[in-house]
Amino acid sequence: MRKYVIVLFILCFTFVNCEKDDICIDTTTPKLIIVFYNDTIPGIKKTVTSLTVWADEKDTIYENNSLDSIAIPLDLTKNSTLYKLVSGTAIDTINFSYDRKDIFVSRSCGYKTIFENLKIESMTSNWIKNDTIKNTTIDNETAVHLTIFH
Amino acid sequence: MKQPFILLFFISFFVSATIYAQQKKDTVKTKESYGIRVGVDLSKPLISLLEPESKGLELVGDIRILRNYYAAVELGFEDKTSNEDYMNYTTKGSYIKMGVNYNAYKNWKGMTNELYMGVRYGFGLFNQTLNSYTPNVKGIYFIPDEAVPNTEFKDLSAHWAELVFGLKAETLKNLYLGFSFSFKTMISTKEPANFKNLYVPGFNRVYLNDTGFGINYTLSYLIPIIKREK
Repeated sequence: MRKYVIVLFILCFTFVNCEKDDICIDTTTPKLIIVFYNDTIPGIKKTVTSLTVWADEKDTIYENNSLDSIAIPLDLTKNSTLYKLVSGTAIDTINFSYDRKDIFVSRSCGYKTIFENLKIESMTSNWIKNDTIKNTTIDNETAVHLTIFH
Repeated sequence: MKQPFILLFFISFFVSATIYAQQKKDTVKTKESYGIRVGVDLSKPLISLLEPESKGLELVGDIRILRNYYAAVELGFEDKTSNEDYMNYTTKGSYIKMGVNYNAYKNWKGMTNELYMGVRYGFGLFNQTLNSYTPNVKGIYFIPDEAVPNTEFKDLSAHWAELVFGLKAETLKNLYLGFSFSFKTMISTKEPANFKNLYVPGFNRVYLNDTGFGINYTLSYLIPIIKREK
């Protein structure tokens, strides 16, 4: 009989170990990564000394920050997001368009939205001189998706 | 005087010999029933009562093939809606499990209780319906809408192996109450596109490392067919 008690005891611990997959640790819906470059010297990053960023009709994400790269979320209820980027007092508006795709991640994380065919539909050029889309697909936050020259 | 003592000596010898012979005969006389045992899993209807979103039935059966070995089979169906943090889905399907139990319990004369270990091969055929989900976004800058795709993934299947530990007790004549734990490991599955078999009928919840477990409470009746000597 003692044998069975030992077996049951081991089994109890097996149950405990089974509950660990309930926390979402995978990466979910990615943000758009923008890196700022120097317009006159190619290949050199250039910090925007007083950067304020917000999406149209939303709160600011960055306010008077000194940054050379930003990560901004895209609206996943629409196929476009309008962003305002302010450097000092100069305001530029960028209208991003994209397709959305929902990808299954895991039980605890559910689905994430990835963005494809990223395009800039319109952009004003008050302080931004140029841009290059590095990745049209936004499915992670490790790659740079857009570079802005100023 | 000597003669009666000698006689008594021989008589006592015979008496002990006959007692010995009688004891031997008693053990030979014991017979055990061999037959088909059919039953039902009591836990499934109970869970249906507690969770109206899950329905199921499991029929169990076994045949005693050797003194300590039973060929066992379980047949069942399930219709269960699971709710996760970011999604809701329904699993509907049926399954069969086949295998052998080894009874490790040394019964007293005339008793047929069991404390067994067993192995099973399980096979399930099922559909998954993704009822709704909300894309997972960190932060609250853009709040995602809940999507209601109601996508049905049909003709999915799973093969798995189980290790069973259980006991059966004869509570009334030929009526058995049973309890068992099972530990399952997935062999192969046919997965839906852009979704996962998170719940499989018969296998239950599929854990991260493709393992699972189950608990059964069974009530079964033995239909005796033949009596065989022990």
